[in-house]
Amino acid sequence: MRSFDLVEPATLDEAVALLDSQDKSVRAIAGGTALMLMMKTRLFQPTRLVSLRRVNGELRGIRMNGDGGLRIGAMTSLAELEYSPMLASAYPVMSQALRTLSNIRIRNVATLGGHLAHGDPHMDLPPILITLDAKVSAASKRGQRWIGVSDLFAGYYQTSLATDELITAVHVPSQPLGVCCWYEKFTARSADDWPTVGAAVWYSVHSNVITEARVAVSAATDRPMRIAAAEAALTNAPPTAQVFSKAADAAADEVQPISDLHGSASYKREMVRVHVRRALERALNLRSNGAG
Amino acid sequence: MSSGKVIEPPPETKRKPGQVKRSVRRLESKAKVDGSAEYIHNLSLPGMLYGKIARSSIPHGKIRSIDAAAALALEGVHAVITGEDVRRLIPDPYYGPAFHDQPILALEKVRYVGEPVAVVLALDPHVAEEAADLIAVEYDPLEPVFDEVAAAKAGAPIVHDILKPAATFPDLKHLEGQSGTNVALSSRVRRGDLERGFQESDQIFEHTFRNGKVIHAALEPYVTVAEMAGPDALTIHTASQSPSFVRSEVSRLLGWPENRVRVRTAFLGGGFGGKLYIKLEALVAACTLLVRKPVRIALTMEEQFYTITKHGATVRVKTGVKNDGRILAREVETWWNGGAYADIGPRVAQKSGLTSSGPYDIENIGIDSHAIYTNEPPAGALRGFGVSQVVWAYESQTDIIARALRIDPLEFRRRNILREGRPHATGMLMSDIDIDAILDRLAERMDWDRPFDHGSGPIRRGRGIAIGMKACVAPTTSVAMVNIYGDGSCGICCSTVDMGQGSDTAMAQIAAEILGLSAESIRVIHPDTDVTPYDMATLGSRSTYHMGNAVRRAAEDARTQLLRMAATALKTDMEELECRDGAVIARSGARMTIRDVMVARFAMQAGNIIGVGSFIPPYEKPDHDTGQSRQITPFWMLGGAGAEIEVDTETGRIRVTKLVNVGDAGSAINPEIVERQLIGAGTMQFGFTVFEEMIFSEGQVLNASFADYKIPGMLDLPHDLTGELVEVPHQHGPFGAKGIGETGMFCVSPAIGNALYDAIEVRVTEMPLTPERVLRALREAKDQPLGSDE
Ligand SMILES: Cc1cc2nc3c(=O)[nH]c(=O)nc-3n(C[C@H](O)[C@H](O)[C@H](O)COP(=O)(O)OP(=O)(O)OC[C@H]3O[C@@H](n4cnc5c(N)ncnc54)[C@H](O)[C@@H]3O)c2cc1C
Repeated sequence: MRSFDLVEPATLDEAVALLDSQDKSVRAIAGGTALMLMMKTRLFQPTRLVSLRRVNGELRGIRMNGDGGLRIGAMTSLAELEYSPMLASAYPVMSQALRTLSNIRIRNVATLGGHLAHGDPHMDLPPILITLDAKVSAASKRGQRWIGVSDLFAGYYQTSLATDELITAVHVPSQPLGVCCWYEKFTARSADDWPTVGAAVWYSVHSNVITEARVAVSAATDRPMRIAAAEAALTNAPPTAQVFSKAADAAADEVQPISDLHGSASYKREMVRVHVRRALERALNLRSNGAG
Repeated sequence: MSSGKVIEPPPETKRKPGQVKRSVRRLESKAKVDGSAEYIHNLSLPGMLYGKIARSSIPHGKIRSIDAAAALALEGVHAVITGEDVRRLIPDPYYGPAFHDQPILALEKVRYVGEPVAVVLALDPHVAEEAADLIAVEYDPLEPVFDEVAAAKAGAPIVHDILKPAATFPDLKHLEGQSGTNVALSSRVRRGDLERGFQESDQIFEHTFRNGKVIHAALEPYVTVAEMAGPDALTIHTASQSPSFVRSEVSRLLGWPENRVRVRTAFLGGGFGGKLYIKLEALVAACTLLVRKPVRIALTMEEQFYTITKHGATVRVKTGVKNDGRILAREVETWWNGGAYADIGPRVAQKSGLTSSGPYDIENIGIDSHAIYTNEPPAGALRGFGVSQVVWAYESQTDIIARALRIDPLEFRRRNILREGRPHATGMLMSDIDIDAILDRLAERMDWDRPFDHGSGPIRRGRGIAIGMKACVAPTTSVAMVNIYGDGSCGICCSTVDMGQGSDTAMAQIAAEILGLSAESIRVIHPDTDVTPYDMATLGSRSTYHMGNAVRRAAEDARTQLLRMAATALKTDMEELECRDGAVIARSGARMTIRDVMVARFAMQAGNIIGVGSFIPPYEKPDHDTGQSRQITPFWMLGGAGAEIEVDTETGRIRVTKLVNVGDAGSAINPEIVERQLIGAGTMQFGFTVFEEMIFSEGQVLNASFADYKIPGMLDLPHDLTGELVEVPHQHGPFGAKGIGETGMFCVSPAIGNALYDAIEVRVTEMPLTPERVLRALREAKDQPLGSDE
């Protein structure tokens, strides 16, 4: 490993100023769990790392928004999220997913900001955040802007963040009462592995008709994304096994899976079918059990 | 029985008081918990240089040039060492236990991706690492060969221009200087008349089974530190399972007498067969001698994937049976993917080959087992020396046959197993075994006679069993010393390496039993070739039997000396005396502490009693053409496993809900440790069965890190995971004991594979049983194949 500078600014302004819009070897480091893997395999050799660990204030904490949603500081560790009672009551689907997101050693140091900014398609939370319609707040020398989580991912390990732009927080809106929500994580190796396929679903049912639906998939594809065909198959249809099955088929037809160590493209396409369907069923069961 | 998820054994002893057959807590438990246990990994010497290895980026090629200028120019770099530098120090720098084929650093040619080509030495490990990246090597690529069956065929690219068997194994002599082949060794067993056996059979079954490559994944990666011990002697501190071998091999390379090379080890953070023979030791010794400063090379987790692996194997099994369920003939041919250097591969091929017809009483047997060179990382021993690969094959087929004959798989085995006094495939008469007892235990723990719910809907359930055997390696030597000090306390000097298997505790129990001491009061001195006597190595489940016997004899020798001294002091006959409760006690009731005896003899608290014991079991070399031998092994290792699983028929994912591992340990010296060995091995093989696999592309390991090579975690383990001890005492084992460190590996894979068939009637012949592989097989069987890749 080559030597590099490690700077630990105390404020967000300083941190932003230390990043460089031109030099790709200057980067922010949060928990470092993803970055260190890249540095060990020499995929990334930094000249300067801007650590966000000492940045006080807005990067920290989970709090209720004016609109009843949650604002989660980018430096919130995944373990803090996992144990947050606020998260558990507002978005149980997130708390549930965190339990099998890697292992406790990773969750203790990995941050939500790093989790999103890394752009790795094999992450558990992005598809869930997409279906919850969350957005991130991003800051740079040029000011602050909002980016919907569904627009954050531009391609394989690519985000729409500028190289000198930081995620400061994630905003998750409050959810309508009784909405059906679930995330299915499927791993091909150990239980705490990255998913082979992650499928998140979100839909409202009124008078036995699905009025609005969001379906997002990760890991199978080059980036987490919503699956319009599946959503269309659900909208204005009754929440039946048949409809779920049709939506799952639509999802399997629409995705463009990439093969990798977790599975071949054709296998992943099949797993999208199975897990979108299971997520839809599970979400409904949870609601009828009063747990959604 | 003991459950896998209980971490600490209960303190109360399970059996009669005494030192052996008692679940003594491990002597080192506290030191391991409080962090004071010694590991070479933590060793740092003043002025020590760190070495980082530059590795080959291609699988096969001639080295055209090595340009180290940029590396040398980096500030802080002390030296760059290449194969040619080593050759100036050591004219013939090739090592290996079976073949002298592995260069300390690549010479002329590279033979696998990851092969060490040069070493950078620097005071700062990060500088060394950066410089290693700056070494530019130019190659003329040669065509590589990866598949073991293809590599064995004529016309395949040749990995080694000439074969160079080590003189250590006389039966490899005929290979000396052969060229134009990748077959390092072909070993054979012939018994009866195979052709007639097949002719007389009602049905013949033939299948080919495959195993991928996996690694040991020890928590402590390979590490060696060496330093000069005066102008012409060397001390090597190394995380090794075979310190005695390291000393002889490094001495041989240097042309030195063994007394100028000192090799010491500490606790190992796991070994599993990886840390055997030479790993980093020759390289670090050469570096140290070249720069005459202490040198340390510690591999990263990632580099372990380029050091030594388990053998990938292709096993073809052909079996002829009578309709009444008797096996008449079996032919087994195995190709072992040994990678670029033989390491102990030829021994894996030979030893696992000879048991590859299984624990069955078959009259007509033909076995061929080929150790093959390929351009992949070298393969060696991994907890079982190849046995789990062949058991995967023959026990999967046993299940296929039983089902085809409509005989219960357990009953089918009963009709065919080897029993006491019957000849094994090698001709040796079986003794001190009881496979029926293993089957009985399996039947009991698996509730085999009770109906089993196979489930409905997408989740199907199945159960399966398997049995397997191994012949403990032979002939090997162990020597031990038991040292009684002036105050009556006692130390054991032996070169068995405690790598987590609990050997320190077992050796202390054996000596304690004989000397009338408590095991907990005995100190086991860790291997140091200047201090501890020779031992072949800590491998192949041989230590309890071999070193256990050596320690027993050393303790008996010490006891004889002690009693003689006490008899003089007490003016009585030796026969009147015994060692008990830390003292010498006469039948008359007279009693002397051991210290009293020493004071009586040496006039003060002084002196030593040194008992010596050595052990080498009888052995008859197998006939070269037929593999026949009256004494092929000192003892047989026998085990069985049973698994209950759930299969998700929509994803192909297997969940093992119950795993029972039965092993015959003889009379266990320490029952708790033995049960835990069975559970530990079962867990390890479980990982190999369901998802562990090195994935290669053109010789490159695509998942060479624990981010992408997953081993089982707590959440993956079967909820019901047990180790089951069967005790068939061995007449020559120390207090009846046999080795058991590997037994839990043998049968797990076919037990799970057979359960898979039981659940979904699909046979998967290649390990690991990944969800994708299972789903593809299932879809194929339903005539709805999954598309091949887009
Ligand atoms: C062994 C292992 C197993 C894993 N298993 C899983 C799993 O099962 N499921 C899963 O979802 N994930 C898994 N992960 C991934 C894990 O979720 C990510 O590594 C982690 O969330 C990244 O967070 P971090 O704070 O460590 O990021 P870092 O490594 O610090 O940073 C990652 C990237 O984000 C950038 N960055 C960090 N913070 C910000 C910010 N505030 N604004 C802009 N850019 C920023 C960095 O510059 C870097 O490019 C695993 C990781 C490991 C190492």
